[in-house]
Amino acid sequence: MVFQSLTLFARSRGPDEFWRKRKIFKLAAHFVGRKRNCYSIAIRYVHRALRYATMSRKLKKADMLNLWNTRLTAACAEHDINLRTFKEALMRNNILIDRKTLVDLAIWEPRSFKSLTQLAIARGKQDGLNDVMYVKTPPGVITRGMLK
Amino acid sequence: MGNVSSKNFVPRSRKFVRRNQKSFFQHKHDRKYLTSIMSAVKRAQQWATFARTWHLFDATWQNPFDSAQVIIKHLMGLHKPIYHPMNDCGDHVVVMNSRDIALPGDEWRKRVYFHHTTYPGGASWTLAWELHNKNPTLVIKKAVYNGMDGNLQRRHTMQRLHVFPDDKIPEEILKNISNQIRYLRPVPTRLDHISPEEVENYPKIVDYPKQYILR
Repeated sequence: MVFQSLTLFARSRGPDEFWRKRKIFKLAAHFVGRKRNCYSIAIRYVHRALRYATMSRKLKKADMLNLWNTRLTAACAEHDINLRTFKEALMRNNILIDRKTLVDLAIWEPRSFKSLTQLAIARGKQDGLNDVMYVKTPPGVITRGMLK
Repeated sequence: MGNVSSKNFVPRSRKFVRRNQKSFFQHKHDRKYLTSIMSAVKRAQQWATFARTWHLFDATWQNPFDSAQVIIKHLMGLHKPIYHPMNDCGDHVVVMNSRDIALPGDEWRKRVYFHHTTYPGGASWTLAWELHNKNPTLVIKKAVYNGMDGNLQRRHTMQRLHVFPDDKIPEEILKNISNQIRYLRPVPTRLDHISPEEVENYPKIVDYPKQYILR
């Protein structure tokens, strides 16, 4: 290609116009009104949407953590132990399960979760954690982490 | 069909092409269908998980603003491990004896409820004791309403709260109740509710002198 001037060079940039715009319109397909049909408007809103998407990748993690905390608080309260004590006792027992998995257990395997809380309560009693000193547990609850 | 001329041959859209039996069952959505068959035995458990429970809360001698936090927890379903803001898993709460709530300190005299009719000069301020005299359910209702975040769900959540000034609860509500929320503070026994003979026989340390005037 021969560029006779700088202006003509600037105009001949990039891939074919149709395909370049089509990429943007694909991203704007779910918008409403002119921002999905008119390129100059669509590009503004696509840029904004991509900016939001970037920010939300971090927000999503925070949101999920909040949700797991809320759900775990509820699940622990069902078994007379609070979340802080529960996590602390699990750590002391060397039971390393993250919040997401604990929530999944609480929802889909309530009996497994209950046995985890009982381990935590037993360990808390052994170590003299005030929160669980007077919570009733069946006798003989023991795990490897509780042996000294 | 062998000699279809290219002139009047119209290819049918993919959507309308009939799938044979084999490919039908290999479709990706059929996994969901099969799973639902497997979990059919757990239907009752599923219903129990998502059923709305009715809780009873006795407001006698309870601080309505502390009680509101507990009531909100049950109304919004925050006490369930399946909680999600978009998941409609809240329960019903029936509050009884709302006439006998106990406000802390001098709140009866100092707490003010604001109302505006939107007309000029339509503002009015009602003291808590006046409001309670007019309607003994409103203090606790407002405590619950104001304790929640203001969003579209709040008014629907409030529909699940049933407040009664005394212990006369309609039969159709009473028959739903299957749980009682534990009180936040024990109800003290009043001296005038104890029988005179019990008071008489209670062990004493000293007797009042004869000329001591009791008021």
